[in-house]
Amino acid sequence: MENDPRLEELRNIFLSAPESTTTRVMAAVLSLALFAVVLGLVRRRVLREEYTPIWLLVAFGIALMSLVNPLLSWLTRSLGAWTPSSTIFFLGQIFLVAICLNYAVRLSGLVLQVKNLGQEVAMLRAQLDARDQREDAAPGPPD
Amino acid sequence: MAAPSQGCRVTRVVVIPAYQEAERVGAVVQRARAALPDYQIVVVDDGSRDATSSVARQAGAAVLRHPFNLGYGAALQTGYKYALRTDASLLVQLDADGQHDPADAIALAEPVEAGELDVVIGSRFLGAGDYRMGPLRAAGRRFFQGLLAALGPRITDPTSGFQALSPRAIEFYTGDHFPSDYPDVDVLLGAHRHGLRIGERAVVMGESPRASSLHAGLAPLFYVYKMLLSLWAVSARPRKS
Repeated sequence: MENDPRLEELRNIFLSAPESTTTRVMAAVLSLALFAVVLGLVRRRVLREEYTPIWLLVAFGIALMSLVNPLLSWLTRSLGAWTPSSTIFFLGQIFLVAICLNYAVRLSGLVLQVKNLGQEVAMLRAQLDARDQREDAAPGPPD
Repeated sequence: MAAPSQGCRVTRVVVIPAYQEAERVGAVVQRARAALPDYQIVVVDDGSRDATSSVARQAGAAVLRHPFNLGYGAALQTGYKYALRTDASLLVQLDADGQHDPADAIALAEPVEAGELDVVIGSRFLGAGDYRMGPLRAAGRRFFQGLLAALGPRITDPTSGFQALSPRAIEFYTGDHFPSDYPDVDVLLGAHRHGLRIGERAVVMGESPRASSLHAGLAPLFYVYKMLLSLWAVSARPRKS
């Protein structure tokens, strides 16, 4: 099947099809919008700086592929895909899986920290209660 | 009312993790105080929304109250951390639902105090009493018991929450590896691989008066999955040299 010359010819037709200017412009706009959103979130202190590199890299990657015409075609050929869109979906899925795994790891760490803090609060609160009790029980200064 | 005595030496501690146990915890604390007069009774309230904390306090226990619900394992671990900070020489843990008889704690504590064992488990299956489990739970218990025996210690009741611990065990259990939900065979395997000496004593145990959320819906399946993964992870880590 893979060596079928008709399929190979069909694949070449797909790969040599010119990319639509509209698609490229949309991708460029999307990457600019992503840059702007990420920087805006940092400015409003909603997103911490250490979480930005991955999203800025994604925006940069989209911009690069929209501006450098043969890059996506080369990637598509290298990956053995038929169409640039399937390459984008494939890379997107890899990215989403990787970022979810990354967040799961961070979440596990945060859950541990929250548990340790909750335990610490319980012990400190008990200590404070005990101190209050001792102070209440102690005789006050003479009038 | 007994207050937590941070900073001064408490030699023996009873830790009772409790969640929404206002109806039963008072009686459990009173029975524990009567059976174990030399122990400090500490109830760890795992963020209950009922009067668990105040009932336990009125019954004479020191109370450590989580600001929110963290899980049974986390509540136990808070007790371990408290015992570690107060230099406790012995810790006995029992459940707040009245399933465990505090008088049996004396038999559990003996091997720890004699320096023979680090973890002593109160077993329902060593001849005392006639505790009965449903067929699925019994099958699960046998499966994990067999798995644990293949990997390390031979324990008849690895899911028993009635235990006595030495200072070495208390310190080991305060680590970040200790699970927040159900510390069972994975914890015992970890303790065994850490070099802790584990044993059992026969105890009589009643049925838990409340249905555990662990036995509802898909929870048993998740429990089996999680426990298998955890057992693998524990056995894949390097042993303590």
